[in-house]
Amino acid sequence: MRLGFLVDLSRCMGCMACAVACKAENNVPLHSWRLRVKYIDQGEFPDVKRHFVPLRCNHCENAPCERICPVSALHYLPNGIVNVDHDRCIGCASCMMACPYNAIYLDPITNSADKCTYCAHRIEVGLMPACVVACPTHANIFGDLDDPESEISKYLKSHRDVMVRKPELNTHPKHFYVRGSTVALDPLASERPEGFTLFTEVKFLDHIGGH
Amino acid sequence: MIGAEVTFDVPIPKVIWGWLVSTNMWAKSIATGSFFLGLYFINKYPEQDRFFRKWLPILGLIFIGITLLVTILDLHHMFRFWKIFVHPHFTSAVTLGAWVVSGFVIILLIAFWSWLTGKRKLFDKVMIPGFILAFFATIYTAGIMGQATAREVWVFPAEMISMLLSALLAGSAAYLVIDAIFNHPLKEEIRKELSYILFGSAGLMAAMFIGELVFAKMHSEFAHKVIQILAFGEVAIFFWIGMFLAFIVPMIFVGIYTQKKDYKYALYGSLSALVGLWFIKHAWLIAPQSLPLS
Repeated sequence: MRLGFLVDLSRCMGCMACAVACKAENNVPLHSWRLRVKYIDQGEFPDVKRHFVPLRCNHCENAPCERICPVSALHYLPNGIVNVDHDRCIGCASCMMACPYNAIYLDPITNSADKCTYCAHRIEVGLMPACVVACPTHANIFGDLDDPESEISKYLKSHRDVMVRKPELNTHPKHFYVRGSTVALDPLASERPEGFTLFTEVKFLDHIGGH
Repeated sequence: MIGAEVTFDVPIPKVIWGWLVSTNMWAKSIATGSFFLGLYFINKYPEQDRFFRKWLPILGLIFIGITLLVTILDLHHMFRFWKIFVHPHFTSAVTLGAWVVSGFVIILLIAFWSWLTGKRKLFDKVMIPGFILAFFATIYTAGIMGQATAREVWVFPAEMISMLLSALLAGSAAYLVIDAIFNHPLKEEIRKELSYILFGSAGLMAAMFIGELVFAKMHSEFAHKVIQILAFGEVAIFFWIGMFLAFIVPMIFVGIYTQKKDYKYALYGSLSALVGLWFIKHAWLIAPQSLPLS
């Protein structure tokens, strides 16, 4: 079994239900996100377009975070999920330096690394990840990549415009995007100006932790 | 349609590894560099080995102690650091580094004991394993940087050479400073050789950084952006102070010293190299972290 995710970006309407469901399900603290939705505006009025991109851990088959973790706090589950053992984590942040998708954060309460686990605790009891359940447009498609009859496998077969983020890094992500674009998936294809924009202040946090 | 910009996103951390990690690399350069050069001079000039048998373990233990202290302070679970020894994950350069540095500390303690008790043969027996451990203690950080897939311009073979050159620069500068402080116990020949090592390592390191400035933009858009941040962006002040103090000033001052035989120029050049090395390490650490990843 190899669990994977696919987001059909043409269905995503940026409602953030997935992000909220993820926060609630996993008790994700303030200023931390396992799943977030980024808005990118492209073009000049009247020729404009808005892209919504849900971003979460890619559960790479060749995961740099798993490789660099000095104590195996990040480890593979038999179903392909890259899981975190909070009690083993020493908080060195090497995984954050290695993850090219910025998908790992240091939990300010536990001081351990944390990230999306595809809701491993729900999958274990036969439930879908919280974000999949909450999505009103079924933009999040989750399933077994090894099962040719699964919805995700059929989706991948029937679409030619499947993309992953940063394929050149050889991480083999198991998180796919359909009907995406470079503007949506390449962080340098759009500017990230700091300051107040649509609803919130786009900014970088200066540093993490207490030093 | 032209132009695209992020109009909604969450705040994401910019700098993950800060000044504690820069200090780690800086102090480790002094510890391992003084070990390499100490071994070299003990074997080349046995008639003057007392100086190196004394200062090799003292410098090594002080600066590897600083390295270990800042490493543990940088952990968000600092009291769990022992887990690296009971749950080691040997694909990680962090794990290999922790084990190698621990071995290197044991060698330094043996060297210190050997100097205290005057049992020279004790240290002589561990010189070769000590050299091997010091070598890997120098380059393991390059391995970590190489494994940090997310960060541009940290490329393993180049980082390894850069770390070894940093060690030679820091080790030679540290010995020249000690020589100056204790009223020049070293003979002229050794001092001159230390100056040449300082000059050469500074020149080669400067060439590597200038090479990155020129060629990185040809590698990828990400690397180009990092170099722009490094040379003209928010860490430019650290980078140019580092370039000036770590490489240019020492090369000029050491050059003057070898011509005029005025020791104070070697001291000024060495102090400048040690201060500048921290700045350049810090700039190099921060710049790749300033790129948005997602």
